[in-house]
Amino acid sequence: MSPDARIGVFVCDCGSNIASVVDVPAVVEYARGLPGVAFADEGRWSCSVDYLARLKEAIRAHALNRVVIASCTPRTHEPLFKASVREAGLNPYLLEFVSIREQVSWVHRDLPAAATQKARDLVKMGVAKAALLEEGAEIRLAVQQDCLVIGGGAAGMTAALHVADQGFHALLVEREPRLGGLLNRVAAVAHDGRSLPAGEIAAQLAERVTSHPRITLRTGAVIDALAGYIGNYQVTLRPAGDPEGARETFAASTIIVATGMQELLPAGRYGYGADARVLTQLELEERLRNGAVPRSGDAVMILCVDSKNEQRGCCAIGCQVAVKNARALREQGAAERVHVLYRDLSMLKGEHSEVEAAKQAGVRFLRFPDERYPALEERAGRLVVRVHDLLLGRELLLPADLLVLTPPFRGDETVQEIKGLLKVSASADGFFQEAHVKLGPLDFPSDGTSLCGCARGPKTLKESCEEGIGAAMRVSIPMQRGFVEAAGIVAGIDLSECEHCGQCARKCPYGAIRLDEDKTPSVLQALCKGCGLCAADCPTSSINIVHYTDAQLLAQVEAALEEDAAHKILGFVCHWCALGGVDMAGVSRLQYPPHARLIRVMCSARVPIKLIERAYELGAGGVLVAGCEFPPCHYITGNYACEKRMQRAKKQLAKKGYDPEKLWNIWCSAADGPKFARAMHDMVERLGLAREVGADGR
Amino acid sequence: MSDAILVVGAGVAGINCALNAARYGLKVFLVDDTPSIGGMMARLDKTFPTNDCSICIEAPQMYEVDNHPNIEVLTNTSVKKVKAVAGGFDVKLATQPRYVDEEACTACGACVAACPVSVPDELDGKVGGTRKLISIPFPQAVPNVMAIDPACRSGQMRAQGACVGGCAVDCSQCRECPIALCVQACRKEGKDAIRLWQGPASRGVAVRGIVVATGIRDARPPAGLYGYGVHQNVVTYTQFERLMNAGGPTAGRIVRPSDDAHAHRIAWIQCAGRGLAGGVPYCSKVCCMVAAKQAIITKEHDAAVQTIVFHNELKAYGKGFWDFQQKARQLGTRYVRARPYDVVENPATRNLIIRCEDIDSGRLLVEEVELLVLSTGLQPSDRNEKLARVLGIDLDEHGFFKEKDPLLAPLETKVPGIFLCGGATGPIDISESVVQATAAALKAILSGRAGRVESAP
Repeated sequence: MSPDARIGVFVCDCGSNIASVVDVPAVVEYARGLPGVAFADEGRWSCSVDYLARLKEAIRAHALNRVVIASCTPRTHEPLFKASVREAGLNPYLLEFVSIREQVSWVHRDLPAAATQKARDLVKMGVAKAALLEEGAEIRLAVQQDCLVIGGGAAGMTAALHVADQGFHALLVEREPRLGGLLNRVAAVAHDGRSLPAGEIAAQLAERVTSHPRITLRTGAVIDALAGYIGNYQVTLRPAGDPEGARETFAASTIIVATGMQELLPAGRYGYGADARVLTQLELEERLRNGAVPRSGDAVMILCVDSKNEQRGCCAIGCQVAVKNARALREQGAAERVHVLYRDLSMLKGEHSEVEAAKQAGVRFLRFPDERYPALEERAGRLVVRVHDLLLGRELLLPADLLVLTPPFRGDETVQEIKGLLKVSASADGFFQEAHVKLGPLDFPSDGTSLCGCARGPKTLKESCEEGIGAAMRVSIPMQRGFVEAAGIVAGIDLSECEHCGQCARKCPYGAIRLDEDKTPSVLQALCKGCGLCAADCPTSSINIVHYTDAQLLAQVEAALEEDAAHKILGFVCHWCALGGVDMAGVSRLQYPPHARLIRVMCSARVPIKLIERAYELGAGGVLVAGCEFPPCHYITGNYACEKRMQRAKKQLAKKGYDPEKLWNIWCSAADGPKFARAMHDMVERLGLAREVGADGR
Repeated sequence: MSDAILVVGAGVAGINCALNAARYGLKVFLVDDTPSIGGMMARLDKTFPTNDCSICIEAPQMYEVDNHPNIEVLTNTSVKKVKAVAGGFDVKLATQPRYVDEEACTACGACVAACPVSVPDELDGKVGGTRKLISIPFPQAVPNVMAIDPACRSGQMRAQGACVGGCAVDCSQCRECPIALCVQACRKEGKDAIRLWQGPASRGVAVRGIVVATGIRDARPPAGLYGYGVHQNVVTYTQFERLMNAGGPTAGRIVRPSDDAHAHRIAWIQCAGRGLAGGVPYCSKVCCMVAAKQAIITKEHDAAVQTIVFHNELKAYGKGFWDFQQKARQLGTRYVRARPYDVVENPATRNLIIRCEDIDSGRLLVEEVELLVLSTGLQPSDRNEKLARVLGIDLDEHGFFKEKDPLLAPLETKVPGIFLCGGATGPIDISESVVQATAAALKAILSGRAGRVESAP
């Protein structure tokens, strides 16, 4: 413990959310007696503006140099308390957050004594860690005013224009020989009863892009290599389709990904690929655009081909596209009869008027059951669609001189490559994953990288353009400020005992550890995300993570298991998903046994085997390591690394004569509270821990 | 040219617009005509399709807004007058009194305890929520300061037992009040933060651009729709959201308004009132996912509760939406394709008996439920009309703000320098609102500056 630690402990009532279960005054009193604690206080609503003022005042008045907040969850409220601590003049890394609402009062509602004991333990663990906290600092990086935009469709062009209109420089890279993306294939874009030729919109945007003095355009080019980080990217381009072509290298500070999407071709479905009469919507549009639709008597469209099933959901725009094209077929006189076969018509906002207009134009709409798709037959050389009409309750036979399928979409084929270059995730269908689906829709997890348009998921032209502007806004903030601040939870290497094995550099998912000629590692802190994988696997324990050092984690383990260890479960939970699951169990008020004492780590890959062994030595009733549900991990593959290490841990524990069955793993999504609660019930039952905790008033 | 922008409306769209512009370096005036920022999202329990706790993710943003050196938050404030000038606008703002000194009040709650009158809360009234005549809008409100109901001070609440409002002299004439219990309680706490004599205030600000982010509201059902307003156990989907909410009037117990009993069988009617007189004529986009969310959360509270969703065309257009809807089904929610034609109440049990034709099977169904939820859709804010007049921009036939050219110039209005985002443009979900808000921030930043940039070499 730092000899001059003056720790302040602030325990929140959360109105009655915590105080109705936990004896908060008793916890405060207990905290006052812990080593290093100079001040402890109870707050009714600690997050309220007035209490934050009081907290700041207490920090100053009592010369506190460490702060422990015991309240809700760090996932939502840590930034708030960090900011307050900073405003009080204290380094925000000297704050430790203890969760006694989601982990205690909400989930042990009927066990006030056990809940209070658990809250005491968690505060004690927080205080033990706080005593060892050291100052940290955000790492500031200079950012220039140049942005790489990948993809020259509507979203990418709009983004580049809005970057360049601010006076910044944009490098726009498009694989195809000309700008426009899907607008080069679509016939018309309809909105609010108005329809514009797609070619005109593409031409207008392309004209503004090509004539803009601050946009460097490279068409027919692809990304050959991309390295670096915000403020310091080097991108190498080469001609599309020519792996040996001449390279061109640029510097960029920020990146916008606007790689768009493609139709997922319904190979083999309804004769697609084998029969020229069977087209996709996009193929139909290309013909409509060129006035090259063969005149036919009967056209049939089938919606939701290969979507809304177990593989994938709604394609988001297929209904609108089909309604638009069906109407065009009628209005251009290309078909006498047009039938649209659908499951649910997903026309949003006021788009239902478009269905009415299509009906007016003679298009017939027919609904089939979800589990009974239309079938295709060939009769006397003619295609015939057999469909069960739900409204009529019977089967119909519809001849089809033209059969148009509405398949879903997938991300561009370059997604796999870009995903690796930028260290970001994408769905099975190749759509990029945003930082937060609600509040971070245009952001990738790392600063200065943004995404927009159909690269995120299928959407309309209007939405793509809005996202293009929004993505430009996101990357412009660091370009305008001239710097970005990276979080200070990063790795540091003490070279005194380093054996130069090079393992850390090999294992770092971000390439943030570089080796020199004699394999001496160094950390590029701007690239480090702080997962701690390197630290946990370092054979000489030479790597530490700011705010999650071995000594700090050990102090928490020892504080947790000081008393009554045999009836406790010592848990390590990752900040992103597992703690999310724990919080979810709390928010959902799932009641589970109060045995767990949880320690937060940024990633499950941070947990070294030696800490688990220490918990065994101290007699823990059980040990839990919980990380993100597979496959996604906030740190790309940290959960996989952790899983492998846990296998090794079990073997090592068995060799030393410990029972490896006491070590549990769960992989839990942030939405899966029940999974965590179930794990608690199961552990307590299978490890025979169910007694006393709580029952004896402890 | 001014280095400031004005954002009108401080829900999730206005907040995100303000944060982007402020981080960029502009000064932002963020105004809202209610006593707290937060908007609709602050009243929601969860957000689909991840079931994030709504206020948990919005509150840190609200706090950042409140603490950002570039953002000035003006609550209880509306836009009175706007004049286009070179490089932007001169704007006159009017702030209605909250009768509480924002700087002095610490929201300790002593006044609330002293106030003798409880009234139904605006949104929670139907499901048992009440507030005092002096109250804080919700626990995480920003600013975290009390506000007094103007009806109290004007004497309209005398019959309900209000302590003030009966004097011959209007409150605005006094600088002391020997009567008001809240004033006494506040003084006892040593604060003296209540200002019953406070009057409206106005101020002028110069801005380069204006973003309209006035949001949406939930549509109230037309009178008598499916027994709403007649039978006690018929609620709207926003009222149900408050029932689910741990921070709501029932602390998250899903109970019936008639007898406070746990509801074991709950039905949702989608598109309630849609296309009828008084109902919304368009698809509100979010209700299908809201129903899936509410069914899932209901099941998470108690897996034994039976849930039925009567629906029209099912929408699941966004990322992860389909899986979320499937999850609701897997948890046992019954989806019935039907628009019920009749709801009657069983007078003995207060249960609702729903009659409909199941379109998929063609059979007539009768279902009895203990609680009925109407998904009535989203409507434009009722303040849009006034604001549109002040700003000189147009509304569409439904009352949403009109974009000049949605395809070629999204979010722009017919007045250069005035932009739209979020529910001001139409029914929308949170993530789409954030996208538009982010885009509108850049539009406002660039406005007035475009000329310079275009002419640059």
